[in-house]
Amino acid sequence: MESDIGHITGQWDYAELPDNVKIGPDCWIERKDSFASFRSEQDPGLVLGERVRVYTWTTFNVEPTGRIEVGSDSVLVGAVFMCNEKITVGQRVVISYNATIADSDFHPIDPDLRRQDAIANTPLGDRSTRPPIVSRAVTIEDDVWIGISAIVLKGVTIGRGARIGAGAVVTSDVPPGASVSGNPARLAVEANEGND
Amino acid sequence: MTKEYRLQHDWFPRPLPANVEIGPRSWLYSAFAFVHYQSRRSTGVRVGHDTGIYNGTFFDLGPEGKVTIGDYCTIVGAIIATNGRVEVGDYAFISHEVVIADHFAAIPPGKVPFRPPTAVGANICIGQNVWIGARAILLGETCIGDDAIVGAAAVVSGTVPPGAIVGGNPAKIIGDVKSSQRRI
Repeated sequence: MESDIGHITGQWDYAELPDNVKIGPDCWIERKDSFASFRSEQDPGLVLGERVRVYTWTTFNVEPTGRIEVGSDSVLVGAVFMCNEKITVGQRVVISYNATIADSDFHPIDPDLRRQDAIANTPLGDRSTRPPIVSRAVTIEDDVWIGISAIVLKGVTIGRGARIGAGAVVTSDVPPGASVSGNPARLAVEANEGND
Repeated sequence: MTKEYRLQHDWFPRPLPANVEIGPRSWLYSAFAFVHYQSRRSTGVRVGHDTGIYNGTFFDLGPEGKVTIGDYCTIVGAIIATNGRVEVGDYAFISHEVVIADHFAAIPPGKVPFRPPTAVGANICIGQNVWIGARAILLGETCIGDDAIVGAAAVVSGTVPPGAIVGGNPAKIIGDVKSSQRRI
């Protein structure tokens, strides 16, 4: 009975994953469905370091041109990756529940191009007629903690040890060691800073 | 402590943990809600009567974690991640994708190779007849007064007075339930 639910409790054969997914020793991936939208044609398309923990809510949505690398000892709780180019996650990074990391908006801004995009994306549409989209790589350095339901958008680098508050929408770089929160995310001011 | 048992309608082939109590006429969608549950308290989760706990709700409780949910509540998909206490009063309505956690970057309980981001002992209380909007986040030491409303995607950390309507990130008071009624 347990084996029937192995694919959602981490007890499944990770050798079933695509050949371009490279997993280091002692990783734990709870749910096979995290890879349901993994379409990378790069080699490697996804690299997990050592002892990476990947919980239920994590999804690797990777386009054919996309690549993701995750460093050792990182904990991906609810990391929704949306990757068209490159997302790099360092070591000992925590990405909490319902957090989204995207290296593209996946659709154009120009209204005429968006009509063209909408038609190409219909159930019987021709995806090859989609207009080009902009992507810019995202880098999350070592020891960063990304809070619950935060969103990290394209082109952002989050410096080592930074803290991203719950619900923050990160649209620009975050310096090492900084704490940011809000939408758009701003440097958080410590409550006692005015007393210094 | 009660005995482990299977929910009759359950697709997930595991029993409910023995220290979970579900009251009469209440509904729990699946024991899958407890896939990360590690509470070792004599009662880890207690649910009152006539309460519905629906798909997408998870009790990611650490060894010291305890959750008490009242009567006539509706929870349609909250993640509760804590090693402290969470109390939900009667008539609460908690909407989709809400997260209630003792740390801003909470992780499920379990072994991690470095100090995990959990705040031990944080308590969160939700009063009676509280309405929590979709994607709201309630963090450690939050207390929400009776009849209050938390707007969609609000990030709450602190005290919300009874009858207040709060919204935003960080959440601020944006109205109260009585004067909103008068406007309508």
